[in-house]
Amino acid sequence: MSDQTKSWLETRLPLASSMQSCIWNMKMAVEKPYLAALGSLITATLIFLTLSGFVLSLFYVAAPGAAFDSIQFISRNVDNGWLVRSFHATGATMLFAATYLVVFRTLLTGGYRAPNELTWILKLVFLGLVLIIGYFGYAMADGAVSYWSLHETTVAGARLTSFPGAISNWVFGGPAGPGTLGRVAVLHSALALLGFGVLALHLAAKRAVAPVPTKTVTLHPYYTSHHFVAFAVFALIFAVLVFFAPHWGENQLNLAAANPLVVPAVLTPPWYLLPVSAFAAASSSPLGSIFLVLAGFAVLFAAPWLDQSKGTKPGLFYKILVAVLALDVFGLCMAQADGPSMLSSILSTIFIGWYFLHFLVLSPLATAMESKK
Amino acid sequence: MKFGISAAALLAASLAFSNAAKAEDTLSPLHWQSQGNFGSYDKAALQRGFLVYQTVCASCHSANALHYRDLTALGFSPDQVAAIASNVKLADGSQASMDDNFKNPFPDSQVAAKAFGGAIPPDLSTLVAAHPRGTQYIYSLLTGYQAAPSDVNVMANHYYNVAYPGNQIAMPAPLKDDMVTYADGTKATTAQEASDVAAFLTWASHPNLDARKQIGLRAVIFLIFLSVLAIANKRKIWSGVV
Repeated sequence: MSDQTKSWLETRLPLASSMQSCIWNMKMAVEKPYLAALGSLITATLIFLTLSGFVLSLFYVAAPGAAFDSIQFISRNVDNGWLVRSFHATGATMLFAATYLVVFRTLLTGGYRAPNELTWILKLVFLGLVLIIGYFGYAMADGAVSYWSLHETTVAGARLTSFPGAISNWVFGGPAGPGTLGRVAVLHSALALLGFGVLALHLAAKRAVAPVPTKTVTLHPYYTSHHFVAFAVFALIFAVLVFFAPHWGENQLNLAAANPLVVPAVLTPPWYLLPVSAFAAASSSPLGSIFLVLAGFAVLFAAPWLDQSKGTKPGLFYKILVAVLALDVFGLCMAQADGPSMLSSILSTIFIGWYFLHFLVLSPLATAMESKK
Repeated sequence: MKFGISAAALLAASLAFSNAAKAEDTLSPLHWQSQGNFGSYDKAALQRGFLVYQTVCASCHSANALHYRDLTALGFSPDQVAAIASNVKLADGSQASMDDNFKNPFPDSQVAAKAFGGAIPPDLSTLVAAHPRGTQYIYSLLTGYQAAPSDVNVMANHYYNVAYPGNQIAMPAPLKDDMVTYADGTKATTAQEASDVAAFLTWASHPNLDARKQIGLRAVIFLIFLSVLAIANKRKIWSGVV
């Protein structure tokens, strides 16, 4: 571009100068850990999932049976289709890993406390959103497990009355039938776009309450080089999974075609849906399941107000409690993945009990104790 | 049935001239070359496995996701694959072409269920992928037929198999020694046939395994270097600040 064109463009559309002032020369606090790049990584992964999902959507057929066949077609007959499918599946794993890690880290460091309540809520909204998107994506696979999972979800939804029933009816259009996957596919992509909106709101909210740093550096070259490291390592983990464990964390049985006459003994979802699935499985009635899942989320949303610290940093006891909570949720997922049995049902009840105990009793007590010192 | 045998003989003959390879031992110890992070398919085993599949399995099982043209990945030339396809008679009596899906032996699953007392032979395209340790499972299942212990009552039209969940399977033992004649001179024992067809069905489930691992190795090596470079770059840039 000649200098003349540049100045002509710059006076009409000041891209270069705003890039200069808003991005490259932005003042950032020094000594951010690599984990501070998780927000950028989540955004990049969501973009990546949107692009790979777009490619898949060109071949995907949203109808029971035909959906499974179309995914087989993508994997076997579309040029590099297997790679794009692997990208999308593993991208989902990376997105959830990063999102769960952010939630855990925020709890551990007390990053949800005032004035960060709204950023915390937006993080949870994003988590809830990707869980819904993840479930829809899982249902779209139309395998031997997810076919029946969608069936059970929609049948349970259709039996609900009033407001919950209306939502279910609006989303699924009644019990699973020929048109259900089409709705699910549309919502899968539409909600993904909504995810970008939530990420943008989160970024704006985070910037508004960020403390004024005492020592700053410019974004470029300091944080570009910093993020380059985070992206390279993230891509390395991603590549190892894509090429050497492409279906890691998925139920293998879902790679077989669904049989409308054969219900699998256990409907184990992919790893990232296990926590929700475990909360839902703890009740035998649909309303009870919904209530437990919402309650599980509600205590997370309420964390900033249950917390009794008065501006003190989280102490060791609190941090140990959060680490135990992480183990608790991990154990809950393992018990759920193990399938229904007397032992896993007892363990799940204990783990879910501890989860609520942590947020409603232990965490407020620990923070109150630590703020007195 | 007579046609089936002569077709198998034709198939074996048509594959015979291509294989100058020598007899292989994949049984002691039992292994599949595709296993492990760097393993790739043993094409000789895949070709033997396809012979077993086409001679034995294909008479009852479908593999709907596969096309005859896909067989070139096993190391067959296009002419050989065309010969394999032309040996297959489709339901309408015509010869199969390269672009046809593997022939489904039954017009629909109800006919299949009727033929086998209600048990539908599962589609084999994704059987290995859909089962934990799928390759080993196929081998164990095919070599797992035994006389039932005295305290087990085997149901009508069922057979005792140690590898099958519940131990009672509706499929009679499909393999026996020398059911096929391998062109490469490998001895066609039941165990060898089972191991080869397990290799073939693994390929059927994961046709891109070789490409995946090849690209993967390059991608991972590249990204390791990129990560090291990124860390060095970051340290150099930040050296004056912190």
